[in-house]
Amino acid sequence: MAWITKNSGTMPIERREEPYLNDAIKQHFEEEYIPRYPNRQAATIPLLHAIQDEHNWLPFQAIEEAADFLGLPASTVLDTATFYEEFFLQPRGKYTIWVCQSISCEIMGNVQLVDRLSQVLGISPGETTDDGRFTLMHVECIGACGGAPCALVNHQLHENLTVDNVEQIIQGLE
Amino acid sequence: MALEQPILLKRIPSVPHGDPADRRTIGYDEYVKTGGYAALDKSCGMDPKDIVETVKAAELRGRGGAGFPAGMKWSFLPPPDGGQRFLAINADESEPATFKDQVLIRYDPHLVIEGIAICMKACHLDTAYFYIRGEYHIHREVFERAIQEAWDNDVFGDNSRMGKINDRPPRLFLQRGAGAYICGEETALLESLEGKRGWPRIKPPFPAVAGAFGRPTIINNVETLATVPAVVENGADWFKTFGKGRPEGAPPQVPASFGTKLFGVSGPVKKPGVIEENLGLKLSTLIEDYHGGMLPGQKFKGAIPGGISMGVLGTDQYEAELDFDIGKKYACLGLGTACVTVIPDSVSMVAMARNCARFYSHESCGQCTPCREGGNWLYKILSRIEAGDGTTKDLDLLLEVAGSMGSMPGTTICGLADGANWAVRTIVNKFWDEFEAAVSKERFVSLSVVGG
Ligand SMILES: Cc1cc2nc3c(=O)[nH]c(=O)nc-3n(C[C@H](O)[C@H](O)[C@H](O)COP(=O)(O)O)c2cc1C
Ligand code: SF4
Ligand code: FES
Repeated sequence: MAWITKNSGTMPIERREEPYLNDAIKQHFEEEYIPRYPNRQAATIPLLHAIQDEHNWLPFQAIEEAADFLGLPASTVLDTATFYEEFFLQPRGKYTIWVCQSISCEIMGNVQLVDRLSQVLGISPGETTDDGRFTLMHVECIGACGGAPCALVNHQLHENLTVDNVEQIIQGLE
Repeated sequence: MALEQPILLKRIPSVPHGDPADRRTIGYDEYVKTGGYAALDKSCGMDPKDIVETVKAAELRGRGGAGFPAGMKWSFLPPPDGGQRFLAINADESEPATFKDQVLIRYDPHLVIEGIAICMKACHLDTAYFYIRGEYHIHREVFERAIQEAWDNDVFGDNSRMGKINDRPPRLFLQRGAGAYICGEETALLESLEGKRGWPRIKPPFPAVAGAFGRPTIINNVETLATVPAVVENGADWFKTFGKGRPEGAPPQVPASFGTKLFGVSGPVKKPGVIEENLGLKLSTLIEDYHGGMLPGQKFKGAIPGGISMGVLGTDQYEAELDFDIGKKYACLGLGTACVTVIPDSVSMVAMARNCARFYSHESCGQCTPCREGGNWLYKILSRIEAGDGTTKDLDLLLEVAGSMGSMPGTTICGLADGANWAVRTIVNKFWDEFEAAVSKERFVSLSVVGG
């Protein structure tokens, strides 16, 4: 997490006319979240989640807009965003498959699952399929160890996976 | 001394009292009908000091991993000064193989909320943040709804039955984490709550004095707070009839493990899951009587008592009694979260150590050199040994690097590095033969032996 290398400050930032942080999110935050805390900075992570929920990733422009809204330098918000594994600073697939790689899941055979998924999707962990549908990720223990080995597909938890049934977690997804 | 009636899992079907398949979320109305919020109502009629004293007398120890007495933590708070004071509930549950808090959050959220409210009342805390890990999606939705119900029923808000705390309406909010193990460490959690990267703080000052937003703050684990209502309702003496007391004649400073606790078991057992039992339960009983024993064809080789940071229990420690103070007795760090990972003899201990080392090198926050670099080196060395390229010297190096990492050796800010230290050292030491067999027999003189 702390080791995600940031792009250089001289990197050109792609911009678009329409803001990512739209008025609806702003108003919701002004009413719901800002009053929860003694300062605006504390709303950073909820705000980044809200933007990512809407756009599926966090473009640099969105980070700048969030910083502006929170009254912080963009670098401060970028610093926070780069630290957390759930925030994507690059576009990702419509579905993110998170396969647990922690101890109980390894004992119960997660390695074969990842191999199988890699084979079916034609990508390695950390990559996105060319059609932009799937991103395959490793994740540390997701607190479902009783059903090891397990995986999340976006918000959906799948437990007791095997090499034979693992494909079903991506079946039926568009 | 099996537990007759579950306490924490009173409303959540669990082995042996019920079938986990029947679990469903208990809403506000059903919670109240089954005796819920009686302890909060009782607390509202009590002097806050007396609530703290009750929890102190019960010797309720933190269920988040460290086993620190909750009542004592609460009494470290300075007297109220009219300013805001916070409660941060640790629902980050990211210690590998730990999946106990999620049962309470998902199925009996009001039990947790009642404990939160009582703690706020007892400690004069006006604002509480329920910091839940980002990957708990269903749990987050369930808990958001329960929080809303609690506001609607005057547990929190302007008309709270607790009245005003620090002249403010008591409030509870959910805060979603974003995927970082280190944010379970209490001061990293506070940094994250403040919108920053999760870098643990140097202590002192302790959070009770200067925590969230520089104000007095209590941080407790979900299960710790969920235990509070029963303690307040039934009293300290009742609570101390459960669990494992101190040996006869031992002075009161010797720590004891009173009460019941959630125990999880994962790995190759017939019925993995979470149950509640008295502290002091034997590992063998937990595995055989509550989780159906090992899967056919699998043999017990070792177990991790509660999250990989605790290190491992060896093959000959199958009868270990699981209380908070198992560390000294069984050469591991402690009970931790009491969510046991069973390791079968078909799995290589080198692979297990490598899995743990990878976790710590990946999850280190990067502030302290011994943790950031040491974790990486442990992972590299173990990967090398696993690939068959290791030498005897690597084993010495492994122990030397691991042993130098952590807040206990005094080289790091937080306990993450101690976890790496104990996980790797106990696995290597207790399964030395396996490691020796995995490395080449070439003779190298270790640097640590010649003092280089
Ligand atoms: C690296 C690290 C990770 C931790 N992760 C958690 C966690 O996920 N959940 C938790 O309750 N406590 C965790 N803790 C322990 C907390 O720092 C803290 O002791 C605990 O939340 C206090 O609550 P308790 O006294 O009620 O147990 C962690 C500690 C360290 C050093
Ligand atoms: S010990 Fe590791 S995780 Fe803890 S503060 Fe230091 S670098 Fe960060
Ligand atoms: S180890 Fe995979 S979910 Fe816990």
